[in-house]
Amino acid sequence: MKYVAMIYGNQAKWDSFPAEAWPEAIARQEAFNAKYRETGELLGAYGLADAANAKLVRREGGAPAVTDGPYLETKEYIASFYLFDCESEERAQQIAADMPFADVEPVELWPVLHGSAADM
Amino acid sequence: MDHGVEDLLRELAPQVLGALVRRYGVFDACEDAVQESLLAAALQWPAEGMPDSPRGWLITVASRKLVDQVRSEQARRRREDRIALATPQAELLSRAADADPGTDRDDSLALLFLCCHPALSAPSRIALTLRAVGGLTTAQIAAAFLVPEATMAQRISRAKQTIKTSGTPLRMPEAADHAERLGAVLHVLYLIFNEGYTATDGADLTAPALSAEAIRLTRMLHRLLPDDGEAAGLLALMLLTDARRPARTGPDGDLVPLAEQERGRWDRRLIAEGIELISQTLPRGQVGPYQLQAAIAAVHDEAEHVDATDWPQILVLYGLLEQVAPNPMVTLNRAVAVAMVHGPAAGLALLADLESDRRMARHHRLLSTRAHLLELLGEHDGAADAYRDAARRTTSAPERRHLASRSARLAAGRS
Repeated sequence: MKYVAMIYGNQAKWDSFPAEAWPEAIARQEAFNAKYRETGELLGAYGLADAANAKLVRREGGAPAVTDGPYLETKEYIASFYLFDCESEERAQQIAADMPFADVEPVELWPVLHGSAADM
Repeated sequence: MDHGVEDLLRELAPQVLGALVRRYGVFDACEDAVQESLLAAALQWPAEGMPDSPRGWLITVASRKLVDQVRSEQARRRREDRIALATPQAELLSRAADADPGTDRDDSLALLFLCCHPALSAPSRIALTLRAVGGLTTAQIAAAFLVPEATMAQRISRAKQTIKTSGTPLRMPEAADHAERLGAVLHVLYLIFNEGYTATDGADLTAPALSAEAIRLTRMLHRLLPDDGEAAGLLALMLLTDARRPARTGPDGDLVPLAEQERGRWDRRLIAEGIELISQTLPRGQVGPYQLQAAIAAVHDEAEHVDATDWPQILVLYGLLEQVAPNPMVTLNRAVAVAMVHGPAAGLALLADLESDRRMARHHRLLSTRAHLLELLGEHDGAADAYRDAARRTTSAPERRHLASRSARLAAGRS
């Protein structure tokens, strides 16, 4: 079963994270990614750009109509997401709990039902 | 693969392809045949030794592959198109060894022009140039641009199809088109260089670093057109910019801005070569944007220490650049030079003009420049806010960390 795991946050949280702590945080995250890529369970890990760059796209009269995102009134938004392929839900939960940020931010875990990408 | 062999193959690739296309005319089939001959050489040469005439060997093998292709096509269709086969094999092979340097010269150049065909989009021109002239494989190009190989293969084959249907023969463009097409070629090389330079590190690429490839191709172009000031200017710009690469990132992969770079780590050899080239080129007249940017890079590179930077000269050069090729980024850079010469307040006044452009006002470069000038002015609160806004706007992770840490440092000093 595939699972998508997401970490949410907001600007105040990111701002409060000390700049000099980033190298270590990145190293821990890289180690996590490497570990589960090795087991074949991590299919992809993606960090998103700042919410200031998020856009909302609709279609109006056949043409894209773009406004600023994230979703209106959203206080918390996705910071990064991971795609796992796991034996069981328990295993997925185990991995999610192993994420470096899991002791600071809860990780949202969703089973993936459908996929259309060629490499999935 | 042996580096010597690899370098030689990539040097010969455009000559061989040019020779084949000139002879047989079908670009896409020739291109496939040349790729196969390069592959064969890469496998055979290191094991069996180099042939006496590597270029002739490649042309012979590629011609044979092309004939094989045509033959199998024919076997399938069982009719027509006997033209390629009608050429006696002996003629194909005997002409292969004729190394006429003049023809090679024009073939390589005409090939560059063909790959930068006006009917193609910029990404297609880049991909085709890297494949046909640079001799990179589709997989390498795909890896360099972080797209799936299938996507890149599609893009390249569409580009080849476009060239085929446009029916452009491989020859030098008419004088009237020449300047415009050369402009497109320079732009493609510039984009390839920037792609390699902006990427955090070449270590992830299976392709040789793209900027190294851009420099190699621009060197070739400069050799082919030694009298063209902009080709020389672009080469000088690349050398002078690439010289700073070792100092651009810190141990954690973090971005180090120009002012804070450890100048001892700059590549002196590249700087000397770039300065020599631009110094020879500038006085020859007809100054274009690449020459001016190279001159600005040269002034930066010449300063032993950031405080020794000749800002008045940089300001003059940006003024010229803004006249020759005006765009908001040039104005932004000129604002920095204005601030260094006439004080940060003058720089901020110039930025205010740019801020009326809504798209530009939210650009992280404008925000980070404003932050920097506010910091110089001692307005630390405003600077911290502007750095934070800039950090949020950039989509480069190292740059985001750099800007966020500047913001945090200034904010920490707030009372």
